[in-house]
Amino acid sequence: MTTRGWHADVPLLTAYLAGSLDAVGGASVEQHLVRCADCRAAIADIVRAPVLKRAWAGVRDTVESPALPLAVRLARRCGVSEPVAVLLAATTSLRTAWLASAFVALGFATAAVLLGGADLLAPFLLVAPMVPVLGVAAAYGPHTDPLESLVGTTPYGRSRLILVRTLAVLVSVLPVTALLGLLLPGPLWLTAGWLGPALALVPVLLALSSFVGPRTGSAVVAIAWSGVVLLSLRVVPATWPVEATQQLVYLALALVSVVVLVVRTHRDRMIGATL
Amino acid sequence: MNAVQLDAISKTYGRTRALDVVDLGFDRGVTGLLGPNGAGKTTLLRIVATSIAADGGRLSLLGRDPQGSHDELTAIRRQLGYLPQELGYPSDMTAFGFVEYVAVLKEWNDRDRRHREVRRVLDLVGLAGSATKKVRRLSGGQRRRVALAQALLGEPRILVLDEPTTGLDPTQRADLRRTLSVIADRCTVLLSTHQTEDVAALCERVVVLAGGTVRFDGPVTELVATAAGRVWLSDEPGSDALVSWRTGTGRHHVVGGTPPPGAVETEPTLEDAYLLMLGAEARTVRAPA
Repeated sequence: MTTRGWHADVPLLTAYLAGSLDAVGGASVEQHLVRCADCRAAIADIVRAPVLKRAWAGVRDTVESPALPLAVRLARRCGVSEPVAVLLAATTSLRTAWLASAFVALGFATAAVLLGGADLLAPFLLVAPMVPVLGVAAAYGPHTDPLESLVGTTPYGRSRLILVRTLAVLVSVLPVTALLGLLLPGPLWLTAGWLGPALALVPVLLALSSFVGPRTGSAVVAIAWSGVVLLSLRVVPATWPVEATQQLVYLALALVSVVVLVVRTHRDRMIGATL
Repeated sequence: MNAVQLDAISKTYGRTRALDVVDLGFDRGVTGLLGPNGAGKTTLLRIVATSIAADGGRLSLLGRDPQGSHDELTAIRRQLGYLPQELGYPSDMTAFGFVEYVAVLKEWNDRDRRHREVRRVLDLVGLAGSATKKVRRLSGGQRRRVALAQALLGEPRILVLDEPTTGLDPTQRADLRRTLSVIADRCTVLLSTHQTEDVAALCERVVVLAGGTVRFDGPVTELVATAAGRVWLSDEPGSDALVSWRTGTGRHHVVGGTPPPGAVETEPTLEDAYLLMLGAEARTVRAPA
């Protein structure tokens, strides 16, 4: 659209670009530019191309940059670097919906124990160690990361990506789980007892997944852990899965898994890395 | 020294020999890989892209050994662009987010530089206007171009493209050809395709693979020349032709065999030469391992 009659002259347009007009004058020129193609053409000749380019790049940057999930935004505030945040944003188990459903499941398990009393620890013991395990399993692999085939050919590398995401999942879920654990009846060692299997089962999962993939690996770990907890309901005290002797077994399992991972990754570290 | 050098490369999946002692060298320019399904094209490209390791032989990329130290492999991968045959697209990612994610994996850590590079490659494949669209809302051709954009990040010296033209319409294929012809001066492009016209239009060199072995390696014109005098136009289909079909003009295009009565010799196409090169094998579809 072009207006007839009055047009802004070069000194006025230059003053507008320099920001030296008062508020009313600036707004008037801006309104006129919206309606007048001649003046838009005139100002295009005056405006410095690099400034325009920078401004346009800024607009595109704001519009095009994808929003980060809540957990990743929090991680950024805690000092996680911007490139790592981009990688974490693509992690299924760090999305708000996944974390929210995990915490709801944990909340129900905690409520069940609170209502059932200290003799019925099973719901919490069943769920608490499984949340990090399933979170890690959902963080990589061909079923959950469609870019899997590409990741292995990039300089960043698949093993590094998996370890970063594993760490991020643990940092995201363990504090909330620990807080809920404190609500449980019984001594402190009991309410923190789930942490042993939770931390031990993650390397077990990673080692298993190096042979059978994360989906089957997580299924095996989940079935095995459920078996341990459900068995304790019938034949042994409710606290049996988290007692000291069993914690040593979990520690041993974790150490063996780490050794398996290191050996397999070292042997196959170049192409087709194990993790 | 060639940018990509394969010496006696072999790869076996179970009992299937996907590549059988392949010797090839590639330098700057575009090379097309042709072959029936299961010929070993994807296996060869995955080996060059450092996605899988060969069972035997020696591979050299940019003068480095990908089976050597971790630093050697990383140095190669920094100068490598790879478009896999099948690539999943995270459903909630935008085109920009998708390419940016791969850019971070390719160590573009500075946000401003990374965003500029992502915009550059999206512009290059003609998707500047679709950067904020979710990948799931893009057409098949647009998705393929998003995938191509990530392969072009950082102007790689080796570009491995597994069936880049799949899902593209004729205009998009022409655009892709233009893009590749621009970058081919600076890098080594290896692409596989089932479209012989893409090879004819894009590649100065063609490699025909079948059963894991190299059947032809040379300029496209040389492959076409092997079919000279063996392709005819005729009023009748060829009785013992390798393949013949009725064209839009009503005459039959006869490839191979003996010329039918009244047949007129015609200029062979790359497709004719490819079919004659592989004979019955060209129609054999072997399930990949």
